Amino acid sequence: MKTLELRNLKKTYFDPYAGSHVTAVHDVSLEVQQGDFVSVVGPSGCGKTTILNMVAGFIPHSGGEILLNGKAINGPGPERGVVFQSFALFPWKTVLDNVGFGPKMRGVPKAERDRIAHEYLALAGLSHAASRYPNELSGGMQQRVGVVRALANHPEVLLMDEPFASVDAQTRMTLQEELTRIWQERRPTVIFITHDVAEAVFLANRVVVLSKGRVLDQIEVALPRPRVWDDLIEDETFKRLSAQVLHMVRSA
Amino acid sequence: MNILLRSWSAYTRATARWPGLAALVPFIPVIALWVAVTESGMFPRAFLPGPVEVVKAFFSLTYRGILPDYLQDSLVRLFTGAALGMAIGIPLGILIGTSKWAHRVSWPILLFFQAIGDIAWLPILLIWFGFGLTTMTFVIVYTVLFPVVLNTVLGVESVPRDLARAARSLGASPARVLWEVTLPGALPNIITGLRNGLGYGWRALIAVEMIVGTSGIGFMMFDARRSGSVVEILLGMIILGLLWYIVDAWILAPIERATGQRWGLVTS
Repeated sequence: MKTLELRNLKKTYFDPYAGSHVTAVHDVSLEVQQGDFVSVVGPSGCGKTTILNMVAGFIPHSGGEILLNGKAINGPGPERGVVFQSFALFPWKTVLDNVGFGPKMRGVPKAERDRIAHEYLALAGLSHAASRYPNELSGGMQQRVGVVRALANHPEVLLMDEPFASVDAQTRMTLQEELTRIWQERRPTVIFITHDVAEAVFLANRVVVLSKGRVLDQIEVALPRPRVWDDLIEDETFKRLSAQVLHMVRSA
Repeated sequence: MNILLRSWSAYTRATARWPGLAALVPFIPVIALWVAVTESGMFPRAFLPGPVEVVKAFFSLTYRGILPDYLQDSLVRLFTGAALGMAIGIPLGILIGTSKWAHRVSWPILLFFQAIGDIAWLPILLIWFGFGLTTMTFVIVYTVLFPVVLNTVLGVESVPRDLARAARSLGASPARVLWEVTLPGALPNIITGLRNGLGYGWRALIAVEMIVGTSGIGFMMFDARRSGSVVEILLGMIILGLLWYIVDAWILAPIERATGQRWGLVTS
């Protein structure tokens, strides 16, 4: 079942200094099935974050359609959860209240949303940090909160914008493994934006390669799950797929 | 050397236990200098009285009920003005901070009127409202307003865009974003604005009381000049300093610690 569909999506900006229009996304069509995990990879300036911002409803699109369960989207909404590269946790709220924010906006009573938040914090191994403030946590822990905050709101689709780009390399690998584990347990529909080819292949069922505002190719990743770096780093299929995507991204 | 180090360490430990001590100790040399100058007989006593005379004047004026009354008048004026200034300034700052259009239209006007500082309004206010409470309140509100507005705008604009986006995609309406994200995000700056506003307002109030007042600390000091009572002038000056220290250390600083510093928005 199709959850999300992009049809001939286009984005042009007006540059007031140059006095002309700039096209960031030319013509992108994409389908994402319910429960699928799709990575979008491409060099910087290929329009991948612009696409995510349009799907999230943060910026309007200039042409084409964005359909969620067959209906056109209109502005940001809770059915499209977002995980940010900057984490975007509310500094004045405890970890528990950050995770309970989505349920709070839905009008869920305090006791019930605390129960939900505790459940999701446990999923990310963060139960001990519930009463702490975001600035008291490491970057890796902050982004775990960012991920479960989005998940606790039961979005139809989870949009992740280079979420692990600002944590250190070791933590990033742990977070990637945890994300695949959580995805297997909960089966959210995920669109994962990244410029890291290995990350894109490691996480996804399908990798969409983007170049200059167009879809260059889509590659199925038929690697078995659960995926663990210690196994995949030596895996021939993983190496071959990564190399294939890397060549495409570099020649793009 | 050893004794110096040891007494320094004792002082550090003592001030950690009684933080009030750290505020008092630096005044010991100041007061000592004051005593030394008055005792040396360089100036006539009526020209520069010593601390003892000032303390005596404090008790005498307090006993006669003059000082408590004047102090109350000044503080009520300040806090009324500050409350009004905030009630206008914070919503105005949020409007200007969130709307690009409002920002463009109002910013030059704000800067223009900011330059016409408090006292510069007095001549025209005296013609319009005469020597009274309206004139005084106008000046205080005016003085408090600008730092509150400008800092609120700064605070609103400093809230990262991703926070509002995160709230929206978690289901918050624009109104809830204002309440849940914009206001708390701008709060540390709003408090800074309030602190500056109160500081400027306090100074403006004293100046205005000197010119239009019939009561208040500023009036007391200016009235004392007429009767040549330097003791009362000095007492007024000391009260100004002490009161500000109390407001800052007991009210404003704790609020700052409880908000911005706790959240990591402000580094202590």
